[in-house]
Amino acid sequence: MTAHPFKLDSQPNMFREDFSRHSAELPGAGLAWLDARRRAAMDAFDRTGVPTRRVEAWKYTDLANALESDLVPASRFEGEIAFDDAFGARGGAQLLLADGFLHSATGTDGMELVDLAALGSQTPAWVEEHLGRMAAGAAQPLGAASLGLMRGGVALRVHGTRSLHLHFARSAGAQDSVSHGRVLIVVEDGASLRLTETHTGGGASESLVNLGIELVLKENAKLEHIRIQSETARTLHVTSLGASLARDAEYRALYAAMGARLSRMDVNLNLAAPGAHATLHNVAVLSAGIADVTTVMDHAAPHTTSRQLFKSVVGGCGRSVNQGRVTVRKGANKADSHQLFKALLLSPRAEVDAKPELEIFADDVVCGHGTAIGALDADALFYLRARGIPENEAKGLLIRAFLADAIEDFGDETLRDALGKRLDDALDVVERVAP
Amino acid sequence: MLEIDDLHVTVDGKEILKGITLSIPAGQVHAVMGPNGSGKSTLSYTLAGREGYQVTRGRILYRGEDLTALAPEERAAKGVFLALQYPVEIPGVVTLTFLKTALNAQRRAQGLPEFDALRTLKLVREKAATLRIGEDMLRRPLNAGFSGGEKKRMEILQMALFEPKLAILDETDSGLDIDALKLVAEGVNMLRSPDRAMLVITHYQRLLSYIVPDRVHVLAGGRIVKSGGADLALELEKSGYEGVEAA
Repeated sequence: MTAHPFKLDSQPNMFREDFSRHSAELPGAGLAWLDARRRAAMDAFDRTGVPTRRVEAWKYTDLANALESDLVPASRFEGEIAFDDAFGARGGAQLLLADGFLHSATGTDGMELVDLAALGSQTPAWVEEHLGRMAAGAAQPLGAASLGLMRGGVALRVHGTRSLHLHFARSAGAQDSVSHGRVLIVVEDGASLRLTETHTGGGASESLVNLGIELVLKENAKLEHIRIQSETARTLHVTSLGASLARDAEYRALYAAMGARLSRMDVNLNLAAPGAHATLHNVAVLSAGIADVTTVMDHAAPHTTSRQLFKSVVGGCGRSVNQGRVTVRKGANKADSHQLFKALLLSPRAEVDAKPELEIFADDVVCGHGTAIGALDADALFYLRARGIPENEAKGLLIRAFLADAIEDFGDETLRDALGKRLDDALDVVERVAP
Repeated sequence: MLEIDDLHVTVDGKEILKGITLSIPAGQVHAVMGPNGSGKSTLSYTLAGREGYQVTRGRILYRGEDLTALAPEERAAKGVFLALQYPVEIPGVVTLTFLKTALNAQRRAQGLPEFDALRTLKLVREKAATLRIGEDMLRRPLNAGFSGGEKKRMEILQMALFEPKLAILDETDSGLDIDALKLVAEGVNMLRSPDRAMLVITHYQRLLSYIVPDRVHVLAGGRIVKSGGADLALELEKSGYEGVEAA
């Protein structure tokens, strides 16, 4: 008997089952536009189900196999939960999402905010216009499920210059659970947003965080996105992110992955109009587990530019997966794209899978990529030791230096300090377990 | 200060140094000259304790203590300093941060209290001024994008800062124009002192016109084939290494 290439062997399709049973109770059920988008998303999801390694884009990260038990959808948590405010954004908006539900919001004056768990007939037109347009297709199957099964989340519309911290926490629930949440952020013409997104926690029970993020950057909009993901070793985490950039819009992102048993950042950036620019830096620090960042940089218009830098420090039995596809569509002349993959392997069992891909259908474009994977530089290590710096301290210095250029241009000092501290903690663990 | 006795060193299974005996008393500057492949860099790396430089016979006595089993950082803390031929570029580590880290690591190992940032800065500035190293260089990543001359001056700055008892300068003259060479030599000469020994390793006589050595040794084929006074360097400049090697 031969298995269908896209059929799951090990996992019954629990997400499809959830949808069949509960679609009528999901938030906004009965809104024709949303019902249609949820159905379309679940159809898209069904093309792969929870991906196994047989799905090309998931060949390094076997999510289906990592899901060990049936997960029940998380419900809204009513108790107290602390906000992780080490990352500054003082004076800005702070939103806490617990198990995928909006839990609290402060400082949101002047922003339009919609709780997606409470969608109804009063839903603003901009939410209807944008929600579920991205990170919901067959190319991002978990993103599709996060829309189809969306229980909560937030939609925000930003004018002017703002800062926003979204903190995602997990309640200490005993049950193995999955949260399907969505975030939609619309940055209006000429507006500017600094977005800090943090993920921490996770308890002793197994959980899957399934988050779909849509970022809409209108003309001349600027979005700086700093994301820090450091969850516990029982957590599986998939974020599917879709962004569209209008004329002269700029998206600058730093993603840092430091935790979870398995994390996947599934990114699709659409440079939709001339002058759009995206800078994407990914930093992974791992001593165990898998951190996967898979990006599609879609140059859909002429004179669009993108820069991607992937840096991984991997020790113990950690595995870092970096896949970056750059597509330059027909007519997108003068597109300019570069991606660089660099990794430090600190133990014999550590692994990095780096896969750049180029698909070019236009003329007169500049597309470059490079890869460098190796151990710490022996010359540099000797140099520091010959100056009196003990071996472990010298290694620590070199590892931090390796990551420096990926993080130095982001955020303010408070944020960089806080991020630096988190990275330090993660690196301490990596150094302890290496080799 | 330094007594090298019948030193044999193997790199990647190949014997490079084949029995070197050399003694440098405190207060003296000795030069080791030799053609390419004679073992000059092997000697300097071995003295500094680099991994992969296997001492198979003989010993290195430094102030009466055998160095051969010590890690590079332990030797540094005891006052051994190697100025590298090719100082390593380390993007991502600010020079000043590096200097402070190294200085305090050595002080810790010596049982001395660490210097705070302000004290370090004051000390570094003071030493940097004489070598014409500006504030901007100290704020840049270590050696990254530095010119050849800047890199060598940074090495001498470190030497001035750490105040070693034994300083080894490995081809400090390579890649320097005459002005840079003079500046570096001036820095080195200022550090000559009765309680410090120096070993200057070079291919050319040129550097020794500015740093005049007490003794000159010629290294060829992993052995010291000739020793003499400062005028031996001039002699070599005229006759070349061939005559000496044959001897």
